Amino acid sequence: MNAANLSLQLLTGLQIGAIYVMIALGLTLIFGTLGVANFAHGALFMIGAYLGYVVAEATNHWVAFIAVPPAVFLVGIVIERTLVRFFYNRPASDQILVTFGLALVLQELMRWIFGGTNLPYGTPPWATVPVDIGIGYYPPWRLVIVGVTAAAVLGLFLLLRYTRFGLVVRAGMRDPEMLGFLGIDVPKRFTLVFGLGALFAGIAGVIGGPITGVTPDIGMAVLVPSFLVVVIGGMGSLAGAVISGLILGEAVSLSVLIYPPSTQIIVYLIAAVVLLWRPRGLLGVKGVME
Amino acid sequence: MTSNKSRFPKPLSRRAVVRATALAGTAFGACLAAGRGPLGFVRDAWAEKAYPALGNYPIKGSTVKFGFTVPLTGAYTDEGNDEIKAYKLAVKHINEGGGILSTLKPLNLKGQGILGKKVDFVSGDNQTKPDAARENARRMIERDGIIMYSGCSSSAVAVALQYLAQEKGVIYMVGLSHSNDTTGKDRRRYGFREFFDAYMSGVALGPILAKEYGKDRRAFHLTADYTWGHTQYQSMKDATEKQGWKTVKNIMTPLGTKDFSQYLTAVLNSDADVVVLNHYGADMVNSLTQAVRFGMRDKQVNGKHMQIVVPLYSRLMAKGAGAKNIEGILGTVNWNEKLTDAGSKIFVKAFQDVYKEPPSQAAQTAYLQTILYANAVERAGTFYPPEVIKALEGFEYEGFGPGKSTYRASDHQVFKDIYVVRGKAPSKMANQFDLLEIVEQIPRKEVEYDSKLLGGDLGPYIPNKT
Repeated sequence: MNAANLSLQLLTGLQIGAIYVMIALGLTLIFGTLGVANFAHGALFMIGAYLGYVVAEATNHWVAFIAVPPAVFLVGIVIERTLVRFFYNRPASDQILVTFGLALVLQELMRWIFGGTNLPYGTPPWATVPVDIGIGYYPPWRLVIVGVTAAAVLGLFLLLRYTRFGLVVRAGMRDPEMLGFLGIDVPKRFTLVFGLGALFAGIAGVIGGPITGVTPDIGMAVLVPSFLVVVIGGMGSLAGAVISGLILGEAVSLSVLIYPPSTQIIVYLIAAVVLLWRPRGLLGVKGVME
Repeated sequence: MTSNKSRFPKPLSRRAVVRATALAGTAFGACLAAGRGPLGFVRDAWAEKAYPALGNYPIKGSTVKFGFTVPLTGAYTDEGNDEIKAYKLAVKHINEGGGILSTLKPLNLKGQGILGKKVDFVSGDNQTKPDAARENARRMIERDGIIMYSGCSSSAVAVALQYLAQEKGVIYMVGLSHSNDTTGKDRRRYGFREFFDAYMSGVALGPILAKEYGKDRRAFHLTADYTWGHTQYQSMKDATEKQGWKTVKNIMTPLGTKDFSQYLTAVLNSDADVVVLNHYGADMVNSLTQAVRFGMRDKQVNGKHMQIVVPLYSRLMAKGAGAKNIEGILGTVNWNEKLTDAGSKIFVKAFQDVYKEPPSQAAQTAYLQTILYANAVERAGTFYPPEVIKALEGFEYEGFGPGKSTYRASDHQVFKDIYVVRGKAPSKMANQFDLLEIVEQIPRKEVEYDSKLLGGDLGPYIPNKT
């Protein structure tokens, strides 16, 4: 084991963590603002991957990359307007049941349309040949994932920090009631936030789909680790989601070096330890989910 | 106070006698109209008396039901879809004739059902999970009254279903299952497997790998973490080490893994110059595609060109992974749609006529297993499971695939020639299904082994009620 080997494994961890971060960001954004644990978030990722596949097959990857996230944004808006908004004042168990049910409906809908077969969502031709990055050869598409995630995280940070919309969202995460008293159209902001979360899932679907191919169950496969990321990071904390996503990605990758069978339990182990040590998660805020 | 009236039978009135005679006459007439004399009843009654009730035997009515439990969700979905197509075709051929009924020898089937009964079937999704499969098959046995069931794709499912078969006294014709355990340590009297196993793959592939890639190789294994993966890893390790290869490391990966990057990075970080992917179905499609993208086909290690090996191959996976990714990669198959024997040709044509694409090896074994069961019943002259089992044990047949095949009595494993194949270059493909080329036909005697080698005990003909 030399430095180059270790950095290669670290890079793989970064790239695994990047997908976790992309999905967890939307999840925690929706949870932090709307108070809804959106179990249909994995399904939005899956829809992003299917749309990406269809569009990329019909045109090319660039079109898919530009067109699909806004499309998933719209799907998110529709879901919020027609279903989720009726559950804001219902108990958390109702919210979980309805979003989980929605996830199953969307998953079976895709199976109905496309079948259960793995659709070969390929990478663009330029991304099929590994590139030399100094520490070894690496698949370019996985580097794209890291880059896109970094850009998305930065974009979200700028949006929330420097725009009026961001100010309102941040205020909403603290105290939605007061926001309403101040004369802000809260339901409209909620819809946009849900759409924004869906947009992130859509981006994750477009960049994650070519790695694994597209099947109806990829949504459920990412849902569990992403929820762990949110819980470990602290429910509703965006910075927490980024940090814990990267920690889990690295943990999954590095545990292979130390003891491969532990790869499967390492995320749960970390979750248990973190929650024992900090019951609200790494950057959890008091009052959320309490 | 009880009435005395009921104690005394009514004297037979003239009217009652007339009515009874008329009824008997109608019944007799109905029997004649149905084409069977009342003697038919007597014969059936005698047949059922000869064997006690067991599992879902005896069968009531004029149809007999099969159960097909295949993965329609999970990592082996493609294989499951193809199996179910084949089962439907097999049932059609049993009922109406056609298909390999014209080539299989010895044959007792006449293409008019089995023992005068038409075959019907129920099917279900086993989700590639042993517990779901068990539940699925149990429901078919208890609710639908099936006399035989078949299907799987995952050996973990096959093993679970075999134990259920033994418990329930219902014969299980294993579908696609490649673990040594299926007819090894977990062999069951009520389970039968036509598909080859990991041991045979290893023995067949070992020498060819050494010939193609040299004897001084260092192999890194990635292995699906369940019975099949475990036995295939062991068999491949033994077979390649016998040729002088070294095994650098093995990592078990859970069935249904989507992203293999952390494992593949570990391969890159080792000094291995061969990576053996003990994966199947969607797992293999993902691990192989990702391995190729990690540059494992173009890498130079220890001054050698790095190689990927996929010990158990299938055309469906080759299609999923894409022709470019599988070009030149070696593996083994049980059967291939390009075989030129009469049975294979007829089967391929029948399948293609209905489904517009050639059958996979999963379809082939599913189809053949159903026909073999039906034929064994016809041979035994009864559906009584122990007699059917005896008709299958040691059964030697030909007319579908290469040469003579035998269902070995001691472990219920079929022995016949198998094939080493290689992914075809995209430029040489005749059509989109033409993905594999046969490198060598490995004669049966080379892959045959002592049934004691893998251990296991079949258990009794009459299931113990506990």
